[in-house]
Amino acid sequence: MLAKHTQSKTLLWLGRQLFNRENPAAFFDPLLERLNPMWVQAYTPARVEQVLEETSDTKTFVLRPADRWQGFEAGQHVNICAEVGGIRRTRTFSLSGSPILWQEQGLITLTIKRLAGGLVTNWLHDHLRIGAILGLGDAFGDFLIPEPAKPVLFIAGGSGITPILSQLETMPASDYAAPVTLLYFVRTPNDVIGEEKLRALAAHWSTLTLTIIYTHERATPRYLSEQDLETVPGIKAREVYLCGPKGLMDLANDLLHKQGISERNIHSTFFSAPQADLGDQALGGLVQFARSDVEVSSEGDANILQIAEAAGLSPRYGCRMGICHQCSCRKTSGTVINRLTGQTSGAGEESIQLCVSVPRGPISIDA
Amino acid sequence: MKKMTEAQFSELEKDLNAIRDEVVADLGERDARYIRRIVRLHRTLEISGRAMMPFGIIPPVFIAATATLGIAKIIENMEIGHNVMHGQYDWMNDPGLHSQTYEWDTVCDGDSWRRTHNYEHHTYTNIIGKDRDYGYALLRLSDDEKWQPLHSLQFINYILLSVFFQWGVGLHELESERIRRGEIRLRDKLPFLRAFFRKGGRQAFKDYVFFPLVTLPVAPVVLAGNAGANLIRNLWSSTVIFCGHFTQDAETFSEAECEGESKGHWYLRQLTGSSNFTGGKWVHLLSGHLSYQVEHHVFPDLPAHRYPEISEKVQSVCRNHDIQYNTGSFARQYGTVLKRIIAYSLPDRVRSGLLSAHAGQAT
Ligand code: FES
Repeated sequence: MLAKHTQSKTLLWLGRQLFNRENPAAFFDPLLERLNPMWVQAYTPARVEQVLEETSDTKTFVLRPADRWQGFEAGQHVNICAEVGGIRRTRTFSLSGSPILWQEQGLITLTIKRLAGGLVTNWLHDHLRIGAILGLGDAFGDFLIPEPAKPVLFIAGGSGITPILSQLETMPASDYAAPVTLLYFVRTPNDVIGEEKLRALAAHWSTLTLTIIYTHERATPRYLSEQDLETVPGIKAREVYLCGPKGLMDLANDLLHKQGISERNIHSTFFSAPQADLGDQALGGLVQFARSDVEVSSEGDANILQIAEAAGLSPRYGCRMGICHQCSCRKTSGTVINRLTGQTSGAGEESIQLCVSVPRGPISIDA
Repeated sequence: MKKMTEAQFSELEKDLNAIRDEVVADLGERDARYIRRIVRLHRTLEISGRAMMPFGIIPPVFIAATATLGIAKIIENMEIGHNVMHGQYDWMNDPGLHSQTYEWDTVCDGDSWRRTHNYEHHTYTNIIGKDRDYGYALLRLSDDEKWQPLHSLQFINYILLSVFFQWGVGLHELESERIRRGEIRLRDKLPFLRAFFRKGGRQAFKDYVFFPLVTLPVAPVVLAGNAGANLIRNLWSSTVIFCGHFTQDAETFSEAECEGESKGHWYLRQLTGSSNFTGGKWVHLLSGHLSYQVEHHVFPDLPAHRYPEISEKVQSVCRNHDIQYNTGSFARQYGTVLKRIIAYSLPDRVRSGLLSAHAGQAT
């Protein structure tokens, strides 16, 4: 074990000397990619094995990650990286399949809904075919099934069902003993994601109570109400899991507090839905400099370099006019506007020039 | 420097920005495919060169292996390294092609290059006293510097600089001339020197220790071939770079005239301080498109393979503003560089005497 470790350390050192890079294996990637894209070392590749239509605007992509991928637990997310128009775009999605599928067949699934104006989700729907390769990050997130088993209430809205699908499939396999209730809100019967799976689970798993509620079937929308919660037996003793659009999450939090359920027992997760277009050009927002652990609010009248300096940081810079790229930094989330080009960046992880970028809403910077 | 009014400067700025915006709006798959293809080409050449080298005991193979490795290094340094480190492909969001993390196959440490080249040279292009790339603080190339007897030997300096170019570039940030003048102390440069020795050590280890060692029976051949490849790269890249700013018509500027300059003024300086040379597709590729030095200096962070496409537009902007667009054949431009190096090695009196005699002959 130790020998192997030292050996790989020596190899790594040698690789650095010879190829001038932290990840020497990636030196060969441009050629490996041609031979077999699954051999690429710079990121973990995953091949699309199947594409399933869930609803008119939702597809499930079945992926086979390269063997070295670390696996995941039900309820977690991954970052995927797709090259859209020559640009690598990273987005977070929850894993909708059960970890058992991964363990047994080496497959994972992502269930992705088209977002209006969404650059990546639409591209995935329109261009991702069987055989294509995506980059895959490690799974993360703590939206995890309680252990030991406790009564659970899931409240899901729309595509917020995806991490819960993974959990619901995992629980019976481990003989989950406590009662489980799912309140699933969708606009119309056509919008139910994973309906067959859910019905099959409910048929075979006696402690699962499945309630699908259509919000937009009638003239007046029907949202989560107190009555819905009152139908859940022993609600006070339940661990509650929330996933869905912000409106539903806020409403659910309110109602749950009224029921006397404590914050500690409520687990919620935001994912997939990257902020839809703000429409207007509202500039400014909370700027988080992750490495320095500094957070400042900004008004949109200063570029990020100035914001950082005003906050006492000293990022690297040169020309301060957008030509030398000395100030380039990784933005890990949020959107910025490039003052030089007037262009709006994507929402995911990418490189930006601090001296010409202005935040548009909250952002975090790896500096 | 050409006299222009503020209105003319802002007109110039607008015209050039328009060219830039058009390219930026069009960046995409084509550019990604291009740079990936070049990276693949580099890997193929480098791996073949290294693989062939031990068989260099056969003379034609030696030549082929050395040339292949030399060309690999040239492509990596010029079309990939230099351009990636300018941020030309940052928008692709590919960590392997990112300006801040790329480390190239030459002695000069990436971070040092980013400071001295991307920032200093590209911001203060050809401003005597601020752009240390002008003559590399080693050669006297304009009247702005006073003649000294040592300058008469500068052609030898030039040859040495070309042969050991990667080491010269690597040491550039040492600012030895300022240390000599006592403006800074060697101690101030310790962090730089540490990085220099680390990177230089790596480069020397790879070419002069590791690869000869793993092919021990033919080590001298591999050593010679690797040295040859480095030499080819050094001579070519120094020549390309000298042709970019030291030709006859490339202008220099004084600090005073660039004080508080506008963007339009900066553009004018880039246009008139740089010079192109013409050639075939391969010449452009091997020079990292620095054969389009003018375009590169005006738009240092646009993907270089776009320069040939926009050159016509830049030329027409120059025509409209009556700005000289400096270009010519490689031989002609290089000839004027050599002439400049020799001419300025002479005391001013001798030089003007010679030049007028020369002019007299021509008429
Ligand atoms: S400081 Fe030069 S590009 Fe930002």
